[in-house]
Amino acid sequence: MKNLVRIFCVVLAVSFCAIAFTACGGGERVYVIGGTGPLSGENSAYGLAVMRGATIAIDEINRDGGLNGVQFKLDMKHDACDAEQAASAYLTLIESGMQVSIGSVTSGAAKSFADAAAEDNVLCLTPSASADDVIGAGAHSFRVCLGDPQQGTIAADELVTNGGYTKIGVIYDTSDIYSEGLYNAFVARMTELGKTAGTDYVVQSFDNSNKSNFTAQVNALKNANCDVLFLPIYYGEAGLIARQATQADFKVPILGCDGLDGVKDHLEGVDASVVVRYITPFDASSTDARIKNFVTEYQNRYNETPNQFAADGYDAVMIIFKAMQAAGINDVTITASELCEALKPILTGGEFKYTGLTGADMTWTEGGSCNKAANIVTVAH
Amino acid sequence: MDTLILGLCYGGIYALIALGYTMVYGIAKMLNFAHGDIIMAGAYAIFVVLSAQGHVILALLAAIVVCTALGLLSERLAYRPLRSASPLAVLITAIGVSYLLQSLAQIFFDSQKRPVTVLPPESVPMFGTTVSVASLWTLALCTVIMVVLTLFIKKTRVGCAMLAVSEDRGAAQLMGINVNFIIALTFAIGSALAAFASLFYLMQTSVVEPTLGAMPGIKAFTAAVIGGIGSIPGAMVGGILLGVIETFSSSSPALSPYTTAIEFGLLIVILLVRPVGLFGKKRREKV
Amino acid sequence: MTVTAEKKKFRLKYYGNYLLLAAVLLLLIVLDVSGVLKRSSALTFTRIGYSIILAVSLNLVVGFLGELSLGHAGFMCVGAYVGCLTSNYLYTVIDSPVIVVLLALAVGGVAAALFGLLIGLPTLRLKGDYLAIVTLAFGEIIRTVCRNQEFLGGAMGLDNPNKYGKELYIIAFLAALVTVAVIQNLMRSKHGRAIQAIRDNEIAARAMGVNVTYYKLVGFVIAAFFAGIAGVIYGQQVSPISSNAFDYNYSIDILVMVVLGGMGNITGSIIAASLLTYIDVTLVSQLSGNAVMYKSLIYALILIFMILWNNAPFMLPARDWVRGKFTDLRRALFRRRAAESEGEPPATAAWDKIPTKIPMDALLSTDIVPERSHGGERKEDENESMGS
Repeated sequence: MKNLVRIFCVVLAVSFCAIAFTACGGGERVYVIGGTGPLSGENSAYGLAVMRGATIAIDEINRDGGLNGVQFKLDMKHDACDAEQAASAYLTLIESGMQVSIGSVTSGAAKSFADAAAEDNVLCLTPSASADDVIGAGAHSFRVCLGDPQQGTIAADELVTNGGYTKIGVIYDTSDIYSEGLYNAFVARMTELGKTAGTDYVVQSFDNSNKSNFTAQVNALKNANCDVLFLPIYYGEAGLIARQATQADFKVPILGCDGLDGVKDHLEGVDASVVVRYITPFDASSTDARIKNFVTEYQNRYNETPNQFAADGYDAVMIIFKAMQAAGINDVTITASELCEALKPILTGGEFKYTGLTGADMTWTEGGSCNKAANIVTVAH
Repeated sequence: MDTLILGLCYGGIYALIALGYTMVYGIAKMLNFAHGDIIMAGAYAIFVVLSAQGHVILALLAAIVVCTALGLLSERLAYRPLRSASPLAVLITAIGVSYLLQSLAQIFFDSQKRPVTVLPPESVPMFGTTVSVASLWTLALCTVIMVVLTLFIKKTRVGCAMLAVSEDRGAAQLMGINVNFIIALTFAIGSALAAFASLFYLMQTSVVEPTLGAMPGIKAFTAAVIGGIGSIPGAMVGGILLGVIETFSSSSPALSPYTTAIEFGLLIVILLVRPVGLFGKKRREKV
Repeated sequence: MTVTAEKKKFRLKYYGNYLLLAAVLLLLIVLDVSGVLKRSSALTFTRIGYSIILAVSLNLVVGFLGELSLGHAGFMCVGAYVGCLTSNYLYTVIDSPVIVVLLALAVGGVAAALFGLLIGLPTLRLKGDYLAIVTLAFGEIIRTVCRNQEFLGGAMGLDNPNKYGKELYIIAFLAALVTVAVIQNLMRSKHGRAIQAIRDNEIAARAMGVNVTYYKLVGFVIAAFFAGIAGVIYGQQVSPISSNAFDYNYSIDILVMVVLGGMGNITGSIIAASLLTYIDVTLVSQLSGNAVMYKSLIYALILIFMILWNNAPFMLPARDWVRGKFTDLRRALFRRRAAESEGEPPATAAWDKIPTKIPMDALLSTDIVPERSHGGERKEDENESMGS
């Protein structure tokens, strides 16, 4: 036992030195953009997409000479969608010289990241965290994607006002922040429109311990004679629900939010008469030259079609770059807080408008949410 | 009505998995925590065969081979050396095996969900509603398997030997029964049942992922405990009970968020009222 | 052997854990005051602190009581939510963060202990394997319920506007110190002996007059209490406290720490908890890509290998060989002490010197010759600590 203790002391001492004295190396003159996301594990698809999109943007900026000749660098850490790990990664990033950040990819982590960043006043421009609390963390927090309230409202309007559906079936994930946020916003809008639960819309839910068996929920909605399905969830589960609905002979149109991007590969076996649509500001099949270039570049590099997360990642970096340009930043040694103060008025000023992959003429409110148009695209399957 | 049929389907699947747990517990006196992950391995075997355009029967055979091999391998390498160790040690090893299978699946197959279609989604009208073909197959095959299994244990010599080992391992050994063989056989049968379960599970859910087996495994384990662990009819009843409750709870909007809590709450209640489960036999422990 | 020599030995053996934790804490404070300690390192050490609490308290259940609890993360979840609610409320009344956190620790710990009592009362009367599944079920129930409560923040989790700040590591390490002190002393009291007797042979313990259910419950509730404490500390440094963090896998992670450190070995738990947490943090902050997959692979192999190593017959020769080398090493390092103890029974002798409230003989039933039963116990104990 004694020597175990002794060995441990040595290990501890060594690790102390390692932690305490790994100071950031000087010398490099680049702007550092930090961020976190799930880069491995169950949700890695989202984190990797953002990282890849952002990397393309960084390379593009650097190829064109950077900002007044100063290059950019992206430092992306893994956070496993976990609040504690995101906070920890934030500290590691800020200590290694991050000057501005694209926050975190998923909402729970992004909230934690933004909270931690509030202490140092570091700008967070999250590409894809849509929960309201994320930008509520402070004046330093912004986002690129549409927020949950925006999407929930669009969905309710689309289904009730434009679609004229009389009984909407909703299935959402009670264990997922994104899904819960969309659902709450949807319900709020439905109430505004004078619709009541049970008669005008019927709600079913699941959670992360029951993520593969939706037959019961689908059957219940079928028996309630719903004429449309609203799925404020991610594409994996949505595809499953669509297939199980076909299996149960319940063939109604489906509407989802931006989480459904990618559902195409999961619709095998779904009846051809089922129309699947989702709200998204990004369409990879668009003919816009900018998007075409991005899609080609992404396919060349990673051998897959980019989804909305990749486009959001690209836009987040580009917005930061353009805003820095607009603010006339010229000093590479600028601190994170100074940079944040310089960028905030630019983003919220109203004159700065960014046109990118996920929308034209984006502007930001004081609260940090992004004003842009959303499209509803139909999935061909 | 169709909720009930669906519940019976899931119940049948849970019952098949629970049978694996309960047989192993009855005979080897250990909780095989990795049983759920053997189902996952079977599901990946089916996925691989089906994506190579193989036939469903071929996929099922592949799943049986993979599951049985994994069951035997884990028994031989991880559990047999611990036959004389404390139950706690065996339980922890079983958790280790479960974790191992999951992480291997993650490494080999990536952690993304992959769609897999076992049967085309068709349904037939019945009892005034429509029932999917997959559900009918599941129900029919589950019934057949349970009947065959019961007959096997009651009527054959090997089955009797299994009963004897579960009754008293030492005495069975003295009577000339090869205990190691019987235990290995139990693992093989349990794993083969898991292969069937994975096929039926895929018919219902049509998606594979590395953690696919964890939740059904734990729930089937719950079912086995509810029915009385070690008891074969208990596993069947417990499984079906749990499946029906789960389906009814999931389809009610008010209860649906609490489905997991309800299932596990049921377990705690049953253990309180009847600690040995519905069909369990009370055993007096001796020094 | 003189009395002073014996006292010295006594101290080194029993106070090593405290010295270890106190030394680390002191070092951290010194580094902090001199401004070298980075915030990320402070956060890491807070994590190490509460991981130690979790591992040591789980060791009480798994190692000393001999029951498997898979709901340790569930108790932690209770502590985190309750602690955070308490501190959020208290900050409106009290200004001093230290007092708020201490009160939150107490409330969170008691809440978790109450849940432990609730779960333990019906299930601890049952035989071993059931506890594993019931605690697992409990962990899932707690998560499901927390997630669906509006006032707990739903899926997003509970917002915590008043995080404690960098100095939380001091509280974490002090709490770890208290945990180790309580559990270590408990194990050396007559209650601890009773608990370990249950592990070794429940029926025999019952026959000796040990109230099995009572002692199981005591052990279980204390473990739940400390898991709650760990949860409160977690909750003071993480902002949205989400139930998703406390899933079944997290309970397994804690179990890995206990098994790696050696079941029934507190020092081992401390070391394993620190090491695994440190590696975990380093993996996350240094590597990207598929580190997580390999983490669970490594954890799985640790679990299987450690159990086989300690229990499987075919490992026996290898184990003896390593043990022999280990003893040689020890002899080389502590030549004087080794020479001293040569030929005589190891230092766990002199039961009557251990400060329990009742005389040793009153502890064990009278129909066994005291000498023999002491000898047997001692051997058992030695094996245990060597095996781990």
